[in-house]
Amino acid sequence: MLLVHRSRRSADAIRGVSPGGELFVASVVVAMLLLALGDAVDSTWLGEAGLEFALFDFGGELSLLGLHQWSLLQLLLAGAAFAGGICAVKAGFTRLFRPLRPAARRALDKVPIEFRQKSF
Amino acid sequence: MPELFSAGFLSALLVIVLIDLVLAGDNALIIGLVARNLPKNTQRKVIFWGTFGAIAVRALMAALVVYILAVPGFMLAGGIALIWIARKLLMPAEAAGDSHGGAAAATSFAGALRTIVIADAVMGIDNVLAIGGAASGSLLLIVLGLAISVPIIVWGSHLVIRLVDRFPSVILLGGAVLAWTGYTMIVREPLLQPWLTAHPAARFIIAVLVFSASLAPWWSQRLSRQMQPLVVVLPALLLWLLAFEIVDPHLERMGGLLATETGAYLVEAVRWLGWLPLAAGFLWLQEQRPHRTVRG
Repeated sequence: MLLVHRSRRSADAIRGVSPGGELFVASVVVAMLLLALGDAVDSTWLGEAGLEFALFDFGGELSLLGLHQWSLLQLLLAGAAFAGGICAVKAGFTRLFRPLRPAARRALDKVPIEFRQKSF
Repeated sequence: MPELFSAGFLSALLVIVLIDLVLAGDNALIIGLVARNLPKNTQRKVIFWGTFGAIAVRALMAALVVYILAVPGFMLAGGIALIWIARKLLMPAEAAGDSHGGAAAATSFAGALRTIVIADAVMGIDNVLAIGGAASGSLLLIVLGLAISVPIIVWGSHLVIRLVDRFPSVILLGGAVLAWTGYTMIVREPLLQPWLTAHPAARFIIAVLVFSASLAPWWSQRLSRQMQPLVVVLPALLLWLLAFEIVDPHLERMGGLLATETGAYLVEAVRWLGWLPLAAGFLWLQEQRPHRTVRG
């Protein structure tokens, strides 16, 4: 039996994982897949298509074609930065859109609006 | 082999330590069980020499694996085996099954040492295969990785359990690293090198295939019931595309169908659309299954 399966939460890591941790690992996996894509992309084809500079060469290390030289440490850092970026964007959107969300039916800040026909 | 203490070297060392931690067997518990009936001073000796023996046996096995992996074909087999190991790691413990039984208490120092070393060798096969693949042929990396991680596992097993209990994402990361190592081993296979050079796009298909198969227990949990067939359809589609990449040069060599323009268009149509009826058939069968169960 695996030692890590002695822990109740990690024996069922898929259900016990936190959303933040899951986002981080998912970001690392995306970085790994991008690295494989950089490995598979034919640079001459990109040059012919005129995409080499526009999409894949932001300058040296950050380009997709340079990714295949990255090590796990760099992938972990890239995954952490990517996950952090997504969290920041999500937090920004939440702040932006919260005022637009309607209040609950019986919440204190609900403005009581009633349409009554006035009797003259 | 990467330069000593370069980013590549430290990264490979991190991979080995991480794989060791997530794939470690119950070494500490085995040692405790075996040594429990021995006198106190012999217990300490058994724990020390048991750990030493575990490191020595694993280093020896990993060195053997490094040489075996140099034989053409074994790198591919090892990579495929790592996909299965990653799936086993991510599956819930009940589903994965308890593959290691308990160890009987030993009554002598030699008997205890023998039990510990044999148990470690049997429990560490998956671990050794993974670190052999991650080390890229460097024995120094293997020995350093084992010298760091085995004592952590043996003396700090509670710390390891507490760490993964607090951060279960370590397990997911371990699964991802295993999938990554599996992909690297498959694309490093000497038998595949000429074909991969001629078909660079196949590398990406292989990467998505390896990750989708290895991490299936994770991502399938996040899919709704209607989307569950994707667990089978996605790898099958990638295999279909890979099969066409393999068959393509043979078809060209044979001439025949590909010699005419219509034939070439037909082959392309089958390549990009031919999987659709198969996927539709599979989905139809999946839809029929619950009805059959209800009737039965």
